Amino acid sequence: MPEDLADVYRNTYPALVRFLYRKVWDQGRAEDLAQEAFARALVHRPENARGWLFVVAANMARDEARRAAREKRHLTLLKSEPDAVHSAPEDEIDADTQRTRVRTALDQLTPRDREALLLWDAGMSYDEIAAQTGLARGAIGTTLARARRRLVEAYDAGQEGGQDVARG
Amino acid sequence: MSHVDEGTLHAYLDGELPSGDRATLEAHVAQCVTCRAALADERALRDRASAVLGRARPLERPTPPFEQIRRTPARRPWHVRMPLAWAASIVLALGVGYLLRSPTREVAALHQQEPPAVEPTVVATNQTRAAPPAEQKTAPLPQERTRRRAAAPADEQSRTSDKTTPPADVVAAVPAVEPRNAPAAPVAAGRVNDSLQRERLQASRLEGVVVRGAAAPARSERDMAIDGAPVQPSNPKTWPLIDRRLATSVLGEEPVAVPGLAVRSFRRGPGNDGTIVVEQTLDSVTVIQIFQRPARTSLNNSAERGRADHFGRFVGGLRVEIAGPVSTDSLNRLLDQVKPLH
Repeated sequence: MPEDLADVYRNTYPALVRFLYRKVWDQGRAEDLAQEAFARALVHRPENARGWLFVVAANMARDEARRAAREKRHLTLLKSEPDAVHSAPEDEIDADTQRTRVRTALDQLTPRDREALLLWDAGMSYDEIAAQTGLARGAIGTTLARARRRLVEAYDAGQEGGQDVARG
Repeated sequence: MSHVDEGTLHAYLDGELPSGDRATLEAHVAQCVTCRAALADERALRDRASAVLGRARPLERPTPPFEQIRRTPARRPWHVRMPLAWAASIVLALGVGYLLRSPTREVAALHQQEPPAVEPTVVATNQTRAAPPAEQKTAPLPQERTRRRAAAPADEQSRTSDKTTPPADVVAAVPAVEPRNAPAAPVAAGRVNDSLQRERLQASRLEGVVVRGAAAPARSERDMAIDGAPVQPSNPKTWPLIDRRLATSVLGEEPVAVPGLAVRSFRRGPGNDGTIVVEQTLDSVTVIQIFQRPARTSLNNSAERGRADHFGRFVGGLRVEIAGPVSTDSLNRLLDQVKPLH
């Protein structure tokens, strides 16, 4: 029902963008993919739109990652412009570094732990995460506990590593 | 009760523990120092993890209006459409070529019934359908057509001299044959949105697929990119130049563009719906156009809606589309880079 989908859209769009952002690491692409997921939902009219959207989004992000790897060479067109190099302000660089560190830390989680954590952070309930990941509902707490611990540990380790590099 | 495991503690902290389990846990924690400490640890861990993730958040941007989503096509059809549109232009070339070398009955009729700026695609469609395949194959290649186009009308006149003066317009109206010149050409093509003409155009595309194999010359990537053509604001009167300040005030926020590319001009759309276009130069002969308008404005005419079928994205509060004489891939990449101007 499109009316319901409009509601889902309003409530879920930002979370879906956030979820996708942690997968493609590009705001514009994340927004594009979120919009495309909703465009597809309009065609498919899934019963559980919210769950369906996250499944579709996760699949699109996976395809996107593969495609991005394949198409990297096409970027030469843009890189040839010398003016394209613009200096970013300090805090932007800092935010970049932070983001890279989080990304690296997330990469060290198992795919299942990472997925559960990102879904939780996107506002999904344990029931929804269980449906999405195929985990038992009773296992979600344990999965999230492990995912959070590993994320924090990996992030802190990355920070120390970064400082070591800076010192050396 | 034995000590509470960390999974249960996280479920509790997440508010996901069923109420019965919740009460049991709270009663236990009230008495068990170990579990109280564990709960505090896990709470700290949970907060820490949220904070870490929070450092990799996308910018909070307004959610684009839902009705815009309906018009956002998946990208795949776009890729399919490209070659078809290109094939249609080959049909055009062949059709017009055939038209000019055939007995001039059709030419005369055409000239009488259609004004100079008429949709040439329709002309080509009809003629192509009428033409036997053998004739199509011998029709001139684009290079030849270009030469003919440059020649004086007298040349064409001699071909068709037994009847009405031949319409040089027919040749001149061929759209998008030379993508590089696209900024100057495609006013007419923009009107394809009329539904009847669109139907015909689709028919011509079907024809085009057949013909393409026989006649399409090898093309460089740049030459192939003609998709932007139909939306080019070629007419300086309908897309007047404005300055950046006005562009910003029309949009209600900073215009967006591809970082690092020189901005050649800002133009304002004719529809009074807040559309502007930022023209940027890729190199000395290549201009790309970044169409943008506030995402919340509705599209109020068919031409605009036609354009909304093109792929685009939302950047901040703007709906952004891109056009230009480069490959679809490149346009895609460029569109991905678009950011508000600083």
